[in-house]
Amino acid sequence: MSGFRRFLLKRLAVSVVLTLIAVTVIFVVLRMLPGTPFEALITAGNLSDKQVQEIMAMYGLNQPLWKQYLSYMQSLLTFQFGYSILRSRPVWEILGPKLVNTLVLLVPALVTTAVLSSALGMYAGWNRGSATEKASIIATTYLRSTPVFITAILFLIVFSYQLGLVPAFGMRSITASPEGWYQTYVSLDFLHHYILPFSVAVLFYSGDFLLLARNGVVEKKGSEFLKLHKAKGLTETEQLARAGRNSMLPILTYFALRLGMIFQGLILLEVVFAWPGIGRGLVLAIQQQDYPLVQAAVFIMALAVIIANLLADVLYAYFDPTVSTSGGGAA
Amino acid sequence: MSAARSALADQLAFLRQDRLALGGAVVIASFVLLGLFGPLLAPHDPIKYDVTTASGEVMRLAAPNAQAFLGTTAYGKDVFSQFLAGARPTLIVGLLGGLLTGFLGFLVGLVSGYYGGWVDEILMRFTDLTFSLPFMPMALLLLTFITPNIWVITFVIAAFLWKMPARVVRSEVLSVRERTFVKSARASGASDLRTMSLHVAPNVLPIGFLYTAYGIAWAITAQASLAFLGFGDPTMTSWGRMLRMVFDSGNIRIAWWWVLPPALGIAAVTTSVFLVGRAYEEVINPEIQTDQ
Repeated sequence: MSGFRRFLLKRLAVSVVLTLIAVTVIFVVLRMLPGTPFEALITAGNLSDKQVQEIMAMYGLNQPLWKQYLSYMQSLLTFQFGYSILRSRPVWEILGPKLVNTLVLLVPALVTTAVLSSALGMYAGWNRGSATEKASIIATTYLRSTPVFITAILFLIVFSYQLGLVPAFGMRSITASPEGWYQTYVSLDFLHHYILPFSVAVLFYSGDFLLLARNGVVEKKGSEFLKLHKAKGLTETEQLARAGRNSMLPILTYFALRLGMIFQGLILLEVVFAWPGIGRGLVLAIQQQDYPLVQAAVFIMALAVIIANLLADVLYAYFDPTVSTSGGGAA
Repeated sequence: MSAARSALADQLAFLRQDRLALGGAVVIASFVLLGLFGPLLAPHDPIKYDVTTASGEVMRLAAPNAQAFLGTTAYGKDVFSQFLAGARPTLIVGLLGGLLTGFLGFLVGLVSGYYGGWVDEILMRFTDLTFSLPFMPMALLLLTFITPNIWVITFVIAAFLWKMPARVVRSEVLSVRERTFVKSARASGASDLRTMSLHVAPNVLPIGFLYTAYGIAWAITAQASLAFLGFGDPTMTSWGRMLRMVFDSGNIRIAWWWVLPPALGIAAVTTSVFLVGRAYEEVINPEIQTDQ
């Protein structure tokens, strides 16, 4: 077995174990929560004891804990998330569209920012000490360190409330009732609602990419291979292209990691713009104690991170031969 | 400890010539003062006191005026007093959360990198686990069944964030422990504990400090975000909680005087920490530090 393949197998096994542990932790935390979502209904006197027993049985809440645990494991690992307690619809039916909404907002934002801010970062790194670099440092530092909801709120105030350019709330006008994917995501109304959250997401992600690209180029700038290229008579742009190409690896792996954090990182962005995505869905579900919905949402978020970490490690080991593939867990 | 001392001297020298970092340091210093003395300086009780007009009516949602320097909230409270009082929980959670994050991460990274082998394997798998439990959702879950107060929030933040410094410190330790002076210390019979604390630790201390500083900014961010979502300490006025109040009440549309102080306060502090950290990073990372 080749070294890389062994690394891959080991890394895969680690990911599976991590998934099981993560799932268990979520289960334990949820069982420790006081009260049940039915309590409100019971205290309101809307349900009799018998009805409560029936409902508990329906959700398997009267079974011994280990049985609940097993059926919970089974349901998560087969993506059968059960029924939402409060909305009596399959969880997947509720979360599916929210998941899509989040992806529609964040994947294009992430790709846009990865391309634009990496290019900008390389330019800034190449022109070290310039005014552009100074300005970009302040902007970058603000964007990567300040909580995203603050930027979102500031943008909301300026562009929505003061200038009145874009709507402040949701994904569509309240009166819109689109049918099917096409009508939902391809319309001027949608675009109008899209542009503000999209811009804030792009800006929020941009900081780290810019800095990574800048540092990569700065590090390469003094290196031997560039001096060689310079001696060979390559133009500045050609040299920058070479230096940039050699700084791509950290950017690629960072992209993979960010992709994995896509569902959880911007819960606050979704809340501020009332974007009907999975992050906002989770916050609402927690407030309403809708456990099946909560556990499904948290599971999806954890799984995405685990897969992205795996991907980033493998990418790194595959593309960078200097990384030891025997050690695993390369940062 | 001379390595640590000279790194510190380097950092101070760097601060003096890097205007951005100097500005950041000034902002951080004023924030610390605000955290210490803000609640004492506040002209009114941030929650109990109602700002009233001359005729005795409660002044609600008033723009900045003579009685309320930064205007009033929808409940007739003084925004300026809330801003001053709100700095303290932000400072406490930020400082403690950051220090705890840095300390835990440094310890795990040091032990893991120094011993290697199965110790490293176990600690790093544990780190992987905390990486795969997403912070925000898990924190929200935990704070649903533990009534949040600033100590619990600090603990939750550190419990999830130590993984960052742990990895960075570990990789630094891996390179330091291969250096001659460490090897010769061990060869001359120094114990593991002695070698680790006297020869390895001082050399990775700067990066530990740097990540402690970043930890402070992360902790402030996390605390403000949780408070904004309604999972903050319900008994204390914090900047994050102020933002939640103005957002939830829908007054964000008009009451800019209620939004801007806490929002700009948080943004200024976190940005400043990173500006100082960036200058510091250039000192301890010679590869970025070119002579231009």
